Amino acid sequence: MTLVKSAPPMSQDVDLSKTYDAVVVGSGAAGGMAAHVLTSQGMDVLMLEAGKKLPIEQELRSMQWPYDHPRRGDAPPGYHSLSFNEYNIRTPPYAKGSTFKHVTSYVGGWGGSDYVKNILVDEKDHPYTGTKYAWVRARALGGKTNIWGRLALRLSDYDFKAKTHDGYGDDWPIAYADIEPYYDRVDRYLGISGVKENLPHLPDSLFQRPNKLTFGEVKLREGLKKMGRVLTPYRAGVTTDGLKHNRYRSKCYGRGACDRRPGGCDIHAAFDSPTGLIYPAVDTGHLKIRTNSIAHEVLVDSNTGKARGVAFVDSVTRKSYEAKAKVVIVAASTLESARLLLLSRSPQHPNGIGNSSGHVGHNFCEHVMGPGVTGLVKDLVGKPPTLDDGRPGGFYIPRFRNLKDRQPGFVRGYGFEGSGGFSIFPGNAFGTPGFGAQFKKEVRDHAGAFIGMGGFGEVLARYENYVDLDPDAKDAWGIPTLRFHYQFGDNERKMCEDMVAAGREMFEQAGIEVVGTDDKMLTEGWSIHELGTARMGSDPKTSVLNQFQQSHDVKNLFVVDGSSHVSASCQNPTWTIMALAWRSCEYLAGEFKKGNV
Amino acid sequence: MTVTRREMLAVTAAALAAPLVPPGAAEAARAAGPAPKFFTPPEFALLDELAELIIPADAHSPGARAAGVASYIDFRLSESLEPERQASWRSGLQAVDALSRELHGRSFLDATPDQRVAVLTRIAAAEHEPKTPAEHFFPELKHWTARSYYTSKVGIHADQQYKGNVYQRGEYAGYDAK
Repeated sequence: MTLVKSAPPMSQDVDLSKTYDAVVVGSGAAGGMAAHVLTSQGMDVLMLEAGKKLPIEQELRSMQWPYDHPRRGDAPPGYHSLSFNEYNIRTPPYAKGSTFKHVTSYVGGWGGSDYVKNILVDEKDHPYTGTKYAWVRARALGGKTNIWGRLALRLSDYDFKAKTHDGYGDDWPIAYADIEPYYDRVDRYLGISGVKENLPHLPDSLFQRPNKLTFGEVKLREGLKKMGRVLTPYRAGVTTDGLKHNRYRSKCYGRGACDRRPGGCDIHAAFDSPTGLIYPAVDTGHLKIRTNSIAHEVLVDSNTGKARGVAFVDSVTRKSYEAKAKVVIVAASTLESARLLLLSRSPQHPNGIGNSSGHVGHNFCEHVMGPGVTGLVKDLVGKPPTLDDGRPGGFYIPRFRNLKDRQPGFVRGYGFEGSGGFSIFPGNAFGTPGFGAQFKKEVRDHAGAFIGMGGFGEVLARYENYVDLDPDAKDAWGIPTLRFHYQFGDNERKMCEDMVAAGREMFEQAGIEVVGTDDKMLTEGWSIHELGTARMGSDPKTSVLNQFQQSHDVKNLFVVDGSSHVSASCQNPTWTIMALAWRSCEYLAGEFKKGNV
Repeated sequence: MTVTRREMLAVTAAALAAPLVPPGAAEAARAAGPAPKFFTPPEFALLDELAELIIPADAHSPGARAAGVASYIDFRLSESLEPERQASWRSGLQAVDALSRELHGRSFLDATPDQRVAVLTRIAAAEHEPKTPAEHFFPELKHWTARSYYTSKVGIHADQQYKGNVYQRGEYAGYDAK
């Protein structure tokens, strides 16, 4: 049964002899949004994507039963997913010397590596060096939106004006009021589910039908109310009521494969960039896409110093090409965008294009995760199974630290993501001791009685945390790789200690027995929320982009992805990436029409 | 419990210290099916029995044997490109058998049901701090037994009675956030 109403547009011939109005590098959330906004303003756009165009429904197979897959979802022999230990004991490049034919990031190990093995990059071809970092990359049309976790949150002025609030770092050059109308547009155009909570630090979206909660989650919500805290159903970037204006996406039917795969939705109820943004943009007649196109330099007009296009190599034929455009939009992901800017050296831009400030690659930040708590809801032990995982997500507990209070050990805050109840695989089977009939009954009786959650905390933006180009190492196409100089600091460590204590306290307040806590910080990069490497700001000496994600140095160069964020906040970034890109591209289209870029 | 003739023969056989004694007729019949791809028939019969002891059939649902756990593990090992991993499964089964001979003077499959449970109880007691080869094998054996069982048709539908992976055409199941 397929509910996707329309097949994707056919692939097209791309004319590289013409000069496009804009070339967009990258096809994820940011690149897709740039294509949507610019084509709807009538601009002719060429999109370059480094990865393949995949038959994504065949990759994801969202409803396949484990026993109908020969390896119950695992990839065939020869594939290996990196583990926590490998990331920490060794240093990059992690695939160097591996005896496996293919090595993917840890995401392949989430339980279903066969479903993502073609979406994730092969670490063997895409090395990086420096400090330990779990860098997750998806080179495919749509990028990481093919497998994202779907939690779609807004930032607030607690984030945009964080320095004003607590003195650390820098404020953003925008306030919530500037971006609010664009959040609204993203909500309406792409669909989001959730429940209004009227929180100043986590503004509500224009929600479609929300997730339901399970018994244990309701119990936790009640407990938190007593503490003045909130548990809200997962705010999922999923259309639960359907979108009349999009013929490529179905509404959510609560089929429940969301949590047991590394994301991905084969009926596209969950947002992904191809069906949500790119295919409708192709339908305008103004968008051409070239996949297998690895951009390695923003080309510069030697007379004006302005961008004139993008040099790329075909990943398959290894031939070199140039795409000519009046405006260059970089949306290759926080780290790949920084890499591309740094690679683009010319007499006019000796440190890389747009990098007169020296800030490209710096102020690199993200979310720290790992600490969490597992509880047992005793009322549920031995109860008959219920349908608990047929929904886009579980719950979210918004930040509650350093809003009105001041924590002694750390600035900023964290939220919790979690869920409770039955799922297709009883994870407690691995932790239940013993064997035999007693073991089997215990697994069965407890399978739906657990509830767990993990923190996502703001990692402070620090100039000293940065990436640069490795002077020696190159990827499979001969392009210099990134080198990491990045590590968590004391603020993150203190915050993580607090996550464990606070998580425990909340479960106890709700009458949920704590059966396990995890105080381990996962490797840098694990959250896949890297941000900040080309930050916005009003001072060209200390920032790379202005408030419209436009290069201070090069007026026809825009960087519209997470690299522009000034601080990480503790809310998941995808919705903000898209709202900002919408705002910037609308500005860009206006300036383009006036001849100002 | 009286000692059967077969068990007596098994004691004798154990004294000859064969690496793995062929299974008794009953086990051979139960394990009948397509020939194993990686394990020898005696190894396969031993694995099949161990898996069924870890997750047995009960009044609620069939066990590991009906779920084809041994066949699935056998298939995954047969195509594994990691020789050390393959070898560790062989030596793990041998270690279980050796412990059975040490405790009861006979191979695992020729031991009585009570004796088999005693062997498994012994190695399971050190689940979180394994020291001997047989103890080290148990967590791996149990992990793969659970993994194979709870991803099988029997595990998902008969035992867990999983309700999801279906189109919910109306409201989501669950409670409203109030």
